[in-house]
Amino acid sequence: MATYAEMREIYDEIRGDFRYDHELNGCLNCGVCTATCPSAQFYDYSPREIVQLLWTENVEQIYDAMQEKIWACAQCMTCAARCPFKNSPGGLVMIMREVAIKHGMQSAKDVLRPFGRVMLKLITTGNQLSPDMIQPDHFPDWGPNIQKVEGDLKTLRKAIPVRTLQTVETAWEVSLKTSVEMYTIWEMTGVLAALEAMDENLFDVIEDFIDEKREEYDDWLEEQEDD
Amino acid sequence: MSDTVLVVGAGPTGLSAAAGVASVGKKVILVEKENVLGGAPILSGYAKLVPSGEWAKDAIGRMVKRVEGDSNITIHKGTKVTKVDGDAGNFNVTLSNGTTVNVGAVILGTGFTHFDSINKPEWGFGTFEDVLTTTQMEQMVATGKITCPSDGRVPERVAILLCVGSRDRQIGREWCSKICCTVSTNLAMEIKELSPTTDVFIYYMDIRTFGLYEDKFYWKSQEEFKTKFVKARIAEVTKSPDGRLLVKGEDTLVKRPIIIPMDIVVHAVGMDPNEDNPEISKTFGVGLEKHGFLERGEHYTSTFSSTRRGVYVGGSALGPDDIDTCISHGLAMAMRAVGDLNAMVQKAA
Repeated sequence: MATYAEMREIYDEIRGDFRYDHELNGCLNCGVCTATCPSAQFYDYSPREIVQLLWTENVEQIYDAMQEKIWACAQCMTCAARCPFKNSPGGLVMIMREVAIKHGMQSAKDVLRPFGRVMLKLITTGNQLSPDMIQPDHFPDWGPNIQKVEGDLKTLRKAIPVRTLQTVETAWEVSLKTSVEMYTIWEMTGVLAALEAMDENLFDVIEDFIDEKREEYDDWLEEQEDD
Repeated sequence: MSDTVLVVGAGPTGLSAAAGVASVGKKVILVEKENVLGGAPILSGYAKLVPSGEWAKDAIGRMVKRVEGDSNITIHKGTKVTKVDGDAGNFNVTLSNGTTVNVGAVILGTGFTHFDSINKPEWGFGTFEDVLTTTQMEQMVATGKITCPSDGRVPERVAILLCVGSRDRQIGREWCSKICCTVSTNLAMEIKELSPTTDVFIYYMDIRTFGLYEDKFYWKSQEEFKTKFVKARIAEVTKSPDGRLLVKGEDTLVKRPIIIPMDIVVHAVGMDPNEDNPEISKTFGVGLEKHGFLERGEHYTSTFSSTRRGVYVGGSALGPDDIDTCISHGLAMAMRAVGDLNAMVQKAA
């Protein structure tokens, strides 16, 4: 169990986030966020509770909510679209999650563990899902009516303007220069540091990959100079 | 210099102001854009008024009759003011019917516009027949029979949603409309009185039955009429396969999401600035405050002044207010107008 000082520090970090005052103006306790929240229908999670805990600076309960509750949010942001005070409970959850990750909280590790493969693909190529991967069999939650449009999926996909993103082969084929630029962004925005705090093994694998790509890029640059 | 007073708007505020000015022997020109006098309570067919319990057509009807029978008051119905030249004590005013009048002071009782529930589509107004506004429900009360518009059945459960078009930053209504809590508790009692088998639920963020309305309306509606109050803002109104309405909210005291079947859902619509306010502001040369209501001048020693000298503003043109308060504003503006005109006459002599 964390000490009060540790919990206070975590709260201060959430409170100090530059987005905080934009996401939280106050609260009329109307409950429209929780009423409209898909996660609240199924889990012990209530956006209004998150807002109240933050607004009343209940550092113990905030810490407690970060152990499990905040990970139930689907980040659909319906709460933000409905709040009559223009708060964004989902935005606050996003800040809390980032702080949880930064502090290497066990709850964050537990939640992110199954997504190792996704993270690997996402950080190394910049995307992990291409339209041709989206097949109705993989998404039972689409419901039975999806069969009515299934026949048109190929045509519909052609409407996506960026041609290279339409298939697995092309989506995962990223130019060397773009890759290297993206790695710089991951590094400078703290994504890689966050990954290291969450999963050291995955971080090592990805860092090796990045180093290799950077070397390849340097070699390519030299080749250009030679020509 | 003229000591005639122009009163614009013949709702509770304007009717009170006109009668007030006439009662001290001054001439009044009363201009009303509609063809009927009485303002919102008459035009929207309000039922019994708060707090008197008198039918609107009787109470406001007396105010209309008083003005119509006064030889000091000239009434222009179906008429708008199109131009106001000059200064305090000497305004040259043009009306849309071609008349020009010279007046010394102008009193604006131009009122408000009911919030249009179409602007909150998730609450089902305009989509489901059994979703109504408070004014529509009052009209139903006036018919003496409570039934679902869709099929005429007697409703088992009626939900009244408070703060529709009030206290909502999403749609730019950052004000409390002040009257809807009391109007809704009153309506709940009227429904129960006419239809004893119907249960009424009121969904609220806060209950603001201000002043003496606390026990006469809020408590009474619970104690004598068994109205149920649920602290929840409804997220959406949908329809179940059996044709009943479903309201979805969070019971914030029990702290769980709820979906409840209803037969009629009533929107307690708030008070918007008069939709004509941009035009009124331009025609009369008066300012608007940040929400779009008419702006007050200095209040403590120049009570009910607008931002233009010699033009007074009061009632729900200033912001949401109840009928009794609007009537007081009307009389206070009459006092201001006549007092200022008398001072000008004395100074000129």
